[in-house]
Amino acid sequence: MNALELTGIRKRFGAVAAVDGVSCAVAEGEVLALVGENGAGKSSLISVACGLYRPDSGSVRAFGRELPPGDPRAAIEARIGAVHQHFMLVGPLTVWENVVLGREPRRRGFIDAARARREVAEGAERCGLAVDPQARVETLGVAAQQRVEIVKQLWRGARVLILDEPTALLSPQESAALLRTVRALAEEGRAVVFVSHKLREVLDVADRIAVLRRGRLVQISRRSETDADKIAGALIEGPATAPEASARQGERGPVLLTVRELSCASDRGRPALRGLSFELQRGEILGVAGVDGNGQSELAEVLTGLRRADGTASLGNDVSFHRSPAAARRAGVAHLPEDRQRRGLCLPLSVEENLALGHHALPPYARGPLIDRAGRREKARELIEGFDVRPADPLARAAALSGGNQQKLVAARELAGGPPPRLIVAVHPTRGLDPFAARRVHQALRAARDRGAGVLLISLDLDELRALADRILVLFEGRSAGEAEPEAGDDRLGRMMLGQEPARA
Amino acid sequence: MPDLRARLFRPARDPAWGAAAALLASFAVSFVAMAASGRDPVDGFGHLLSGAFGGPGPLGETALKTSILILTGLSVAVALIVGLFNIGAEGQLIWGALAAAVVGRLEVPGVMLLALLAAALAGGAWGLIAGWLKVRRGVHEVISTILLNWIAIHLIQGWLVPGPLAATGSGAHVSVAGTEAIQRGAWLPRLWPGTRLDLGFPLALLIALGVWFLLSRTRRGFEWRAVGAGPDAALAAGIPAGRRICEGMALSGALAGIGGALLILGTEHRYPGVFRTGYGFDGIAVALVGGGSPAATAIAALVFGALRAGATRLQLVGIHPSFAELTQGLAVLLVAAPRMFQPLLARLRGRDAVPP
Repeated sequence: MNALELTGIRKRFGAVAAVDGVSCAVAEGEVLALVGENGAGKSSLISVACGLYRPDSGSVRAFGRELPPGDPRAAIEARIGAVHQHFMLVGPLTVWENVVLGREPRRRGFIDAARARREVAEGAERCGLAVDPQARVETLGVAAQQRVEIVKQLWRGARVLILDEPTALLSPQESAALLRTVRALAEEGRAVVFVSHKLREVLDVADRIAVLRRGRLVQISRRSETDADKIAGALIEGPATAPEASARQGERGPVLLTVRELSCASDRGRPALRGLSFELQRGEILGVAGVDGNGQSELAEVLTGLRRADGTASLGNDVSFHRSPAAARRAGVAHLPEDRQRRGLCLPLSVEENLALGHHALPPYARGPLIDRAGRREKARELIEGFDVRPADPLARAAALSGGNQQKLVAARELAGGPPPRLIVAVHPTRGLDPFAARRVHQALRAARDRGAGVLLISLDLDELRALADRILVLFEGRSAGEAEPEAGDDRLGRMMLGQEPARA
Repeated sequence: MPDLRARLFRPARDPAWGAAAALLASFAVSFVAMAASGRDPVDGFGHLLSGAFGGPGPLGETALKTSILILTGLSVAVALIVGLFNIGAEGQLIWGALAAAVVGRLEVPGVMLLALLAAALAGGAWGLIAGWLKVRRGVHEVISTILLNWIAIHLIQGWLVPGPLAATGSGAHVSVAGTEAIQRGAWLPRLWPGTRLDLGFPLALLIALGVWFLLSRTRRGFEWRAVGAGPDAALAAGIPAGRRICEGMALSGALAGIGGALLILGTEHRYPGVFRTGYGFDGIAVALVGGGSPAATAIAALVFGALRAGATRLQLVGIHPSFAELTQGLAVLLVAAPRMFQPLLARLRGRDAVPP
């Protein structure tokens, strides 16, 4: 019997059909992968499945029983559990408290803490999920928080587990561990829906693979009957003629950025960078790898003027270019921030206003102290077209754009909106982006490099670093754990990221 | 036709219709309330309308009250634009009033302009304190502006006006509480004989136009809006967010201060011994209904100004003038409520509040 069965699901938002007549099912003991571009309808489809959205038509069945539409409680009772990209955890509470929250086991009217702790620990162990039930959630890393979410769903009796882009935030080792967990859960007889952009993972873990495009199901096939090329072909319209990895045009120039013994504290006052040194040349993309939380975020903040640090960083001869965000921008530093919604965009403002942000004092955005509305509109249209921002409406609110289009908006502004940047600090620039949008951002970064800019590319995605970087610097505990050539294997990079490979002299 | 298409695609983001509907609904509820209390609502609303618009006298009163509400409403709206909720317009207004009353006594040419300027500076300085506390010390502006209101009220009305600034015994004026009268030259000229309509009304409209221009047409206005819409993004873009917040609060206070000056220079002609206006607090209602747009704020000020002016006539049919406040409160509630109930309404309609 199918654990979860979606039949003829349609869901429109205004004029846009997010999901357009999709039928698919997942059986017990099976992993169904759901792949598609940003905006292909994956998130909408799983939101329908767990009752968060009410479909315009179509039905959701769990274990043969039809669920009332748009009722998340009914979905939970039907044992459908979802782990969303944004975790729904309460930071100051412990792991076990988060797991049982709202359904605490009781004894004589009081919470039976001992039983809750025991059950959470047992549940976690049975699925090979390493979590300490007593730890406070806010002290845990992303991967551990995700394990807590999974344990929470399992403890609540989920027989259908929906994972929305679960590996987006994980290091390669953590991703590998998660994929093993997913397989183990399937062996146990649970049904798993696994949403991802990463074809390699999908091919690793799934029994069947469903490809969505523009709200329609365009392909569904067994793992044994498909391969990466077939999926990629279905994923994007037309033949995937990827102008991949165009060789570098320009020459590497003199040293652009020199970082010496850089140290700083994190927001919580713990040491984040501890004497980091490296150099970046003109016309070079330096990839920065590392397990999340080893100083990458702080490094980006220091170089863009958002965080103070000891030690020196000089851009050319300018040692104080990072004294403030405004100074960094004037010196030619562009920033694709990690948290694009908070730090990259003013969400209530329009697309054209966001495109002007930071360059708004310069022509064509301004004329003296006034806004040049015609100039801004014209430049916005040019940037929207150049970076394929959708909808192509300069007056749309940034908040109304999908995640991928928001990132294209930030990239358009930072890379092409103002004077050509000298140094580009890009943090997870393609996180959560579909292959097309990601390729557009990659092209823009390469173009900037070929023009002579230096690019610092901080990413958790080793494939991305390999495809783009000329060198890879590995960060471990706020220091350099050495450099690697882009051809280095996962195992070697992984060991360096865990501090197990001695830095070469 | 890209422009037409873009316009059609634009999501409905104009809250003006919602505010207008809320105003209408609040009048409807007041109508029912009046009927429920045993009065003839048609008669009551007739008096309300004639008190607000029936002839030169009422029109002048409406204009007078509207001009003050435009300024306090803009004051709250400008603070909201930079992301702060200014509850302190009342305190900023009375500082402005006091400054106008003090400077208005000077025997110099252009004393009226000087008094207006002094009021803007005094109100602006009081607003700036809250901005500075927010930026430098992380004090929440709602707390600081409420407390600063009380400090202003007690400093001015508990000490300065009855104390050092009290009118000295000069013959006939000895019985009049408050500060000494301002110069004739500082009075706002009356524009319509037989009414109290003075220069304050066109001045308030002009200032509203100026604020609109500043916010939507200048770089500085854009930076203010960016700071209010996304302080972290503004900071990362090189905008000194803290400084912009302080500027916004100073402008907010200056607008309320000018409102205070209009009261002194237009009608009171001295800082009176008893001076509880409530205009500063009504400015919050005006700004909320106006939704942050200067034009809509001016319209909301007109509605509430007419209500204030007309409510005095309600006493003729035995209805307390605080009826105006009931309607005003209902309007704020109805404007704010949809934002609270939107998710519920969306669910009832089977639609989702936020597209992915």
